[in-house]
Amino acid sequence: MIKVNGRNFEWEKNLTVTKLLQKKNYTFPSIVVQINGKFIPQAQYETALINDGDDVKVIHLTSGG
Amino acid sequence: MNVEKIKAAHKLLAEFKYTPGKLDKGYANKSLYINVSENKIEAKPVTEMMKEKFTGGRGFGLWYLWNAVTPETKWNDPENEIIISPGPVGGITQYPGAGKSLVVSLSPLTGSVMDSNVGGHFGPLLKFSGWDALELQGKAEKDVVIFIDGNAGIIRIEEAPEEALDSHLLVEQLYEIYADTPEDKRNISVVSTGAAAEHILYGMLNFSLYDTRRKAVRLKQAGRGGIGTVLRDKKVKAIVVKFKGVKGNLNNPADFAALAKTGIKMHKEIHAGDDKQCQMRVRGTTYLVKIMNDYDLLPVCNFKYGSHPDGNKIAAPKWIENFNIGKADGCWYGCTLSCSKVICDYELKTGPYKGQKVVTDAPEYETIAGVGSNCGIFDPQFIIEANFYCDTYGVDTISFGTTTAFLMECYENGIINRQITGGLDLRFGNQDAAMELLHQMARGEGFGRIAGLGVRKCKELFVREYGAGAAFLNDIGMEVKGLEYAEYVSKESLVQQGGFGMANKGPQHDEAWLIFMDMVNNQLPTFENKAEALHYFPMFRTWLGLVGLCKLPWNDIVPENNAQTDEPAKIPEHVQNYVDIFNAVTGKNIDKKEMILQSERVYNFQKVFNIKMGFGTREHDKIPYRSVGPVTVEEYESRQDRYDSQLKELLGMETEGKSTEEKLKALREYREAQYEKLVDAVYERRGWTPNGIPKLETLQKLGIDLPEVVEVVQKSL
Amino acid sequence: MKKLVTKEDSCTACGTCELVCSKTYFKEENREKACIRIETANGKSKITTCTQCGECIDLCPAEAIYRDKNGVVRIKKNLCAGCFACVGFCPEAAMFHHSDYIEPYKCIACGLCAKECPSGAISIEE
Ligand code: SF4
Repeated sequence: MIKVNGRNFEWEKNLTVTKLLQKKNYTFPSIVVQINGKFIPQAQYETALINDGDDVKVIHLTSGG
Repeated sequence: MNVEKIKAAHKLLAEFKYTPGKLDKGYANKSLYINVSENKIEAKPVTEMMKEKFTGGRGFGLWYLWNAVTPETKWNDPENEIIISPGPVGGITQYPGAGKSLVVSLSPLTGSVMDSNVGGHFGPLLKFSGWDALELQGKAEKDVVIFIDGNAGIIRIEEAPEEALDSHLLVEQLYEIYADTPEDKRNISVVSTGAAAEHILYGMLNFSLYDTRRKAVRLKQAGRGGIGTVLRDKKVKAIVVKFKGVKGNLNNPADFAALAKTGIKMHKEIHAGDDKQCQMRVRGTTYLVKIMNDYDLLPVCNFKYGSHPDGNKIAAPKWIENFNIGKADGCWYGCTLSCSKVICDYELKTGPYKGQKVVTDAPEYETIAGVGSNCGIFDPQFIIEANFYCDTYGVDTISFGTTTAFLMECYENGIINRQITGGLDLRFGNQDAAMELLHQMARGEGFGRIAGLGVRKCKELFVREYGAGAAFLNDIGMEVKGLEYAEYVSKESLVQQGGFGMANKGPQHDEAWLIFMDMVNNQLPTFENKAEALHYFPMFRTWLGLVGLCKLPWNDIVPENNAQTDEPAKIPEHVQNYVDIFNAVTGKNIDKKEMILQSERVYNFQKVFNIKMGFGTREHDKIPYRSVGPVTVEEYESRQDRYDSQLKELLGMETEGKSTEEKLKALREYREAQYEKLVDAVYERRGWTPNGIPKLETLQKLGIDLPEVVEVVQKSL
Repeated sequence: MKKLVTKEDSCTACGTCELVCSKTYFKEENREKACIRIETANGKSKITTCTQCGECIDLCPAEAIYRDKNGVVRIKKNLCAGCFACVGFCPEAAMFHHSDYIEPYKCIACGLCAKECPSGAISIEE
C-alpha cells in the first residue's frame, strides 16, 4: 500500500511514476510529483520507482476552469 | 441586405453632445445614463466614494443598480437597468486579457442581481469614448438602436424598425450603417441579442469585435442570467459604440513603463509556455474536454456521470480539425493567449439560415459540455450548429444545455412525454430534437417556450400541471437560485459544491473552481482549509471583474517556476502582476491584501443586495442533490466501487449484502450533512451569520457600512 | 528580400551601429533606443537584429505589421495598438520597445549602420 495525495492506493512491483499516473488516469498537463517529499522531475517519470509504503504527491496545479 | 433602406427607416429620438475628454489613470470619471422610456441621455459623475468602495466594473454596476431598484422591482420593470462597465484596468493593450466588460442587471431567472463577464471591444471603446459605465434604464416604445460616437462626442437614440433581430445579421447591418468606410469597421463594437431573447428567460448579450483578417463580425457572450432577455424587454435592439484611434496609452496610466514591462513579461511567458501547457493558442478552452472526461468531471446526461467513452469525439483534436486557427485570436488587443477560436465557411444544416455559409465563433468548453455531452450528444457538427444558433438567437449555451439535459431526463423518466413536448422525442442524444427546441425558442413556439423558462420554472410547472413529484425534480434539476449550473460535475468535491452553492449570482464557476485542489490533490482536508479556499478564491476572482480582466491568463498559463512557489494554486507571480498593473494604471499603491479587501467590499455588498431583493439567506444556498452525490440506483451502481469504499472508509459501514437503496441513503445523509458543515465554516470565514447574512462588524471592518447597506442588514438580522 | 546580415566574428563591439541607429530613428544617441543591439560574453559579440522572418506579421492583432515590396517587415504606426505582443513573441528578440514610446520599433534594413561599421560585421543583403 502507498499513499497518493494522502489516500491509500494499491502498490505493485516496479511501479514507476509513469505507471502510477496511467493507473490513476492523471492526464492533466501541469502536475508536480513528489515521492516522500522529494521532487521528481518529469524526465525521471519513466524510471523513478515507487516503493511500498511511499508517500506520493501528485499535485495538479490549477484552480482553474 | 439593403442597408440604405434600413438606414432610411431610422428616426432620431434623442441626441446628446459632449466633449470627449482624456481618461485619467484608468478612469473617465463619468458615466453615461440613458433612459429609453423618456429618451433621456445624461452624464453622471463617478465619485471618489465609488472608486474607493466599488473600484469599477462589476462594483460600479452593482452600485448603480442598487440605487435604481427597490425590493419590489422585477426584471421587466422599466426601473431595472443594464449596466456595462469595463473597470479601470480595462482597455490596456499590453497585458493579456484586459478587454473585459462586466454587465449587471436584475435577472429574469433568479429575480435578483446578476453579473456577467464578457470580452469583445465594447467596454474598452466605451471607456475611450469617455465613459466608465453605461447605465441603461427604461423601456422604449418601439425598437431602438443607441449609437455612441466617441470621437465626435455624440450619442443618439434612434428608432430602428428594419434591422434583423438575430445577431449575426443585425450586427453586420449595423457595421454597414455606422462605418464610414470598410476600414472603419474595426472601430465599432455592438451589444445585441437575438430573436429568442424575446421568448425565453435566459437570453444573452453578444459583444462584437471586427475581425479584420477574416473580414467578419465576431461575437463574444455575456451569457449568464438572462441579461439579453432584459435588453429585448427594453426594446433596445443594439448599442453601438464607435471610437477610432486605439493606442496603448489611452488609459493615461500613471506608470506606462511598468505596464509595458509587465505586459511584455507575460507575452514572453505565453510564447515560451503555452505550447507545453494548455495550448490555448491553438485549441482555446476545448483542451478542457479531455481532462474533464478523464477525471470524471465532464457532465454527461444531466450530470448523472462525469465521463463517457465517446468523450474523445468532442475533445480538442476534433476541434482543431474544424478551426481556422489564427495567431491573433484574442478578444481584445494584446491577448496573446488568443483563445477566441473561429470556424470559417461553416454551412448551416438546419433552421432559417440553412444552406448559408458563415464565419462563426468556435464553441468553448462550457458550450461543448452543455449542449454536447450533458445532453448525451457527441457530434462536433451539432455543437457548432447549436453554438451558432445560440449566439445569433441570443441564447445562453450553458442554461440551454443544462435545461435541455434536465428535460431529457424528465422525458426518459416519463415525467413529460411526446404529447407535452409537442412531438419532440427528447431522449438523451437526440440532437434533432434538441436543435428543434432551439429553433422553437427563436420562433416563440411550442415546447421551446417552456424550455426557455429554465430549470426552476420548468420544475414548478411540471409539478403543478403534470403532477410530477417535486422531490425527484429538485434532486435532478441542476439550478441554484434559479440559475442553471455551469458544466462541471461537483459530486466528488465538497468544496466545489460550495463554490457553486454559495456563489452570489448562482452556480457559475467563475467564483471558484477548486475541484483539483480538493478532490484530486487532497490539499483542503479540514473544514477550515475548505472555508479558507472558498474565501480567497471567490474574492480573488471577483477582483478580476472589478478592474476589467479575463480570468484565463491568470491560470491557463503559469510561470515556469510556479510549482516551486509557496502557493502554486494561487499563481503568486500572476497575482503580483495584477497588483502591479493596477497600480501602474491607477497610480494607487495596493498590495495583495488590499486587492482582496477591494473584492470583499463588493462581494459583501452584492450579498446584501441579494438580501435586499428577498434572497441571499442560507436557504438560497441549497443545492440539488445531483450536484452532491448519486441520485439514482443507476448512478450509484455506475461508480459502485468508489461509493462503497467511501461508505466503508468514512462511515465504517459494512456494504456487503446491503441493497443499493440502503447505501444510497447512507451516502446521501453523510454528504448532505457535510455540505451543511461546509456552509457553516464558510459563512464564519466570510464574517456572516449562520443564516448567511454579513455581520455588521464585517461590513464596518471592510468599510462598506453605508447607511442603506446597514439598514438592509439590520432588518434581516 | 532586403535585410541586415551579421558576421559576429568580425564584430568588435564598438557600438557604433547602435548609436547610428538610434540617432537615425529617434534623433538621439542612446543604445536603449537602437534597433540593433550588441552584447558581449566571454569576449565574443552577439548581434541582435531583425532577420525579416515575418513571424510578427500574423501575430499583430491590429494588422499593423506588413512586409513591404523590398521584403522588409515594417510597422504602420497609426494602426499599432501598442500591445507589444510582437516584442514578446519575436524569435530573435529583435522587436524593441522603450517606455518613451507607445509603439515598438525594429530594424528596417536601411543600411546606415552597415555604412558606419568599422569592422565589416554588418552589411545589407538584397
Ligand atoms: S484569454 Fe481568451 S477570453 Fe480571455 S481575453 Fe484572451 S482571448 Fe479573450
